[in-house]
Amino acid sequence: MAKQAINNIKLGIFVLAGLVILIVTLYLIGRNQSLFGDDIHIRARFRNVGGLTKGNNVRFSGIQAGNVRSVALVNDTTIEVSMLVNRKFQPFIHKNAFVAIGNEGLMGNKVINISTNIIPAAAIEENDLLPTKTEAGTNEMLATLSTTNDNVAIISEDLKQTIKRLNNSAALWNLLNDTTISSNLRISLSNIRYAAVKVNEVASGLNTIVVDAHNGKGTVGSLLTDTVVASDLKKAVGHINQASADADILISRLDSLVQGIQNDVNTKGGTVNTVLKDTALANKLSNSLDNIEKGTAAFSEDMEALKHNFLTRGYFRKQEKAKRKANK
Amino acid sequence: MKGKELKSEAFLNETGAISRFTGWFFHEFLRPRFELREFLRQCFLVGYKSLPLIGLTGFIMGLVLTMQLRPTLVAYGVEARLPDMVSLSIIREIGPVITALIFAGKIGSSIGAELGSMRVTEQIDAMEVSGTNPYKYLVVTRVLATTLMLPILTILSDAIGLYGGFLGINIRGVMSLDLYINEVLNTVVFSDVVPATIKTFFFGFAVGIIGCYKGYNSKKGTEGVGRSANSAVVLSSLLIFIIDLVVVQITDLLGLN
Amino acid sequence: MTAVQDIINQPNETAVKNAVLEIKHLDKAFGGNVVLNDFNLVVNKDENVVVLGRSGSGKSVLIKCIIGLLKPDSGSISVLGEDVLAMGHDELDHIRMRIGFLFQSNALYDSMTVRENLEFPMRRHIKHMNAEEVNERVNEMLENVGLAHTIDMMPSELSGGMQKRIALARTLILKPEIILYDEPTSGLDPITGREISSLMVELQEKYHTSSIIISHDMNCVKAVADKVVALIDGKAYATGTYEELKRSTDERIKHFFE
Repeated sequence: MAKQAINNIKLGIFVLAGLVILIVTLYLIGRNQSLFGDDIHIRARFRNVGGLTKGNNVRFSGIQAGNVRSVALVNDTTIEVSMLVNRKFQPFIHKNAFVAIGNEGLMGNKVINISTNIIPAAAIEENDLLPTKTEAGTNEMLATLSTTNDNVAIISEDLKQTIKRLNNSAALWNLLNDTTISSNLRISLSNIRYAAVKVNEVASGLNTIVVDAHNGKGTVGSLLTDTVVASDLKKAVGHINQASADADILISRLDSLVQGIQNDVNTKGGTVNTVLKDTALANKLSNSLDNIEKGTAAFSEDMEALKHNFLTRGYFRKQEKAKRKANK
Repeated sequence: MKGKELKSEAFLNETGAISRFTGWFFHEFLRPRFELREFLRQCFLVGYKSLPLIGLTGFIMGLVLTMQLRPTLVAYGVEARLPDMVSLSIIREIGPVITALIFAGKIGSSIGAELGSMRVTEQIDAMEVSGTNPYKYLVVTRVLATTLMLPILTILSDAIGLYGGFLGINIRGVMSLDLYINEVLNTVVFSDVVPATIKTFFFGFAVGIIGCYKGYNSKKGTEGVGRSANSAVVLSSLLIFIIDLVVVQITDLLGLN
Repeated sequence: MTAVQDIINQPNETAVKNAVLEIKHLDKAFGGNVVLNDFNLVVNKDENVVVLGRSGSGKSVLIKCIIGLLKPDSGSISVLGEDVLAMGHDELDHIRMRIGFLFQSNALYDSMTVRENLEFPMRRHIKHMNAEEVNERVNEMLENVGLAHTIDMMPSELSGGMQKRIALARTLILKPEIILYDEPTSGLDPITGREISSLMVELQEKYHTSSIIISHDMNCVKAVADKVVALIDGKAYATGTYEELKRSTDERIKHFFE
């Protein structure tokens, strides 16, 4: 009789152990499937769910948050996925959070990924419809890859154009192609600087003449009643001033360019890299070169005009003589 | 030719007899009185006493399955899927079927032999004369015990098998028990556990009813008892596979796969 | 020959008022094998009737029909004034309380102790009995068969003779009015057989039972029989006392005594 009782106790423990394991397992699975507990129900619409089915996981920023409750066709191009998300995630998921379908591993199950949007919005509520975003499924990956291919094609086309343009711009090309670029550039910079100094000199010289003339001093003073000449002269002085200012800007720009190129050459990359890296710089460079061309053209025009002006002819001649003397 | 006809006739005869025997079970099962004491005794013998054997086979099953699956998965670079594969295999198929087969070998034969020898030594008649419905006392209790105990044994065997799988993973690799349990619980869903558990009731019923049928209708003599025990194991093992096939078709039709 | 003829086929002559068991025109066949064919038998109170027959002559079938384990094809069986064949399950259970049955192979339950074996019919038939009464009855019966010390042993630990005694004790435990013995001495050595036979007589006198004894052991028949029926060809071929049949000149009856 006692033996029977002991056996019954053993049997009871045995049965209970089995039932407890079963119930705990079912509970844990159910919890994973969001069958119990406090859940919030949200929806999202897709054109293609890529094999997503009921029970697939829903993750919020990569954390397991719930699972897919149903996948239903709304119309021929819209599929509504409704999912249950644990209520503790509710304050963190906002109404503008993106819902996307992704993969668990390369060959794994489909999974819903909810990602946050940086733009603030209210927290989700029951039965909210969230915006969707397509994300790397294998198909999407291929699609993206093809877009990327297109993009690469466009970029390479652009690159080709840029290079062609660079090629055509002989000055830049020389500048870039030349390995002795920095020294050359420095020479040209010093030349420009020299020119600018000269321009300044000229300008100040002219200024003195003009001031003297104003005051009625010197031989030319009396002649300055000729307003045409006066305006011409003023214009010339203005041009010269402009040119010198341009030259200053140019110098500083070129300085920074040289600095940049030097840095790049020193650190790594090479010349083309520099240009590619900074298209703005290339633009600036080409602009500067244009300006230099324009500026120097205007400058030489003005100079030419001055040379032919009878007022300053003597001055220039003297200068030439001095130069010749110096050269001798 | 005639022998063949006799064989098929015997087969149909046997099938009909088993069906009637089963029908008798439900007839008797639904009517009082209930032999609770004997039922509990049988549950103890059938369930508790089988646990060491079932547990050991379950453990080895999980361990070996893991070690066998591992090289294939490594070849595909999805070693991390090992817990998923092992848990699905054990819970859905191997656990219930292996447990049921071991159970048929141990319990089916013992029921067949016990009832066979009771039949041969007139104990069944003696019960009848003693105012006890021997079908109720012997068959209903045993069939109920096998039907209810096999699912519990299967659950325990699955659990032990999964633990064996965990150890199997840790023989070659490293995985924490927490991660393993998490992986398993993330892989396994209701539609894996519920049909697998439900089918074990049928397995248990098949083992019980066939064992009882063979024993209850044992032929006279010691040889008859041996044959009862033997054919109980053979037939119930076969039935386990047939039920498994049917269940897989049904779950498939219900869309639970 | 006429004397024998007188003995044969005269069941109605003995159908006196206190008959406890009456079998009339009983037929039973298994497939084409006719076992009982118009069998008639009457058992009176306090009477031990031995049914003599060869192996396979249907003796066991006869008593299994009486207790309701087998259904005869036709005929009637009346036990203690009630028709066994017309009984439902519950009534059959009720009448079985009043009939003891000693099986040829003892039919002790292997999985139970001697005590549980003896308690089994009591717990089944008499639900209102309390534990003390049950214990008392078990001890009384074990003392009757002289095996009180075996109470907590398993049947497999006992010798054949002891098993038979325990089986007898279990048969008697409900104090039945009629006891059916199926070859009580078969498989036992002659000495043990004699012990069992004398025990049967002793207990029959103690509890005033009527019995049908199936046997072909003439020592046993001699010891217990008040009346002997020779079962041949499914019929009660000859009826009489042991002495009467022994004196019979019929060849087929003489066979039993050789």
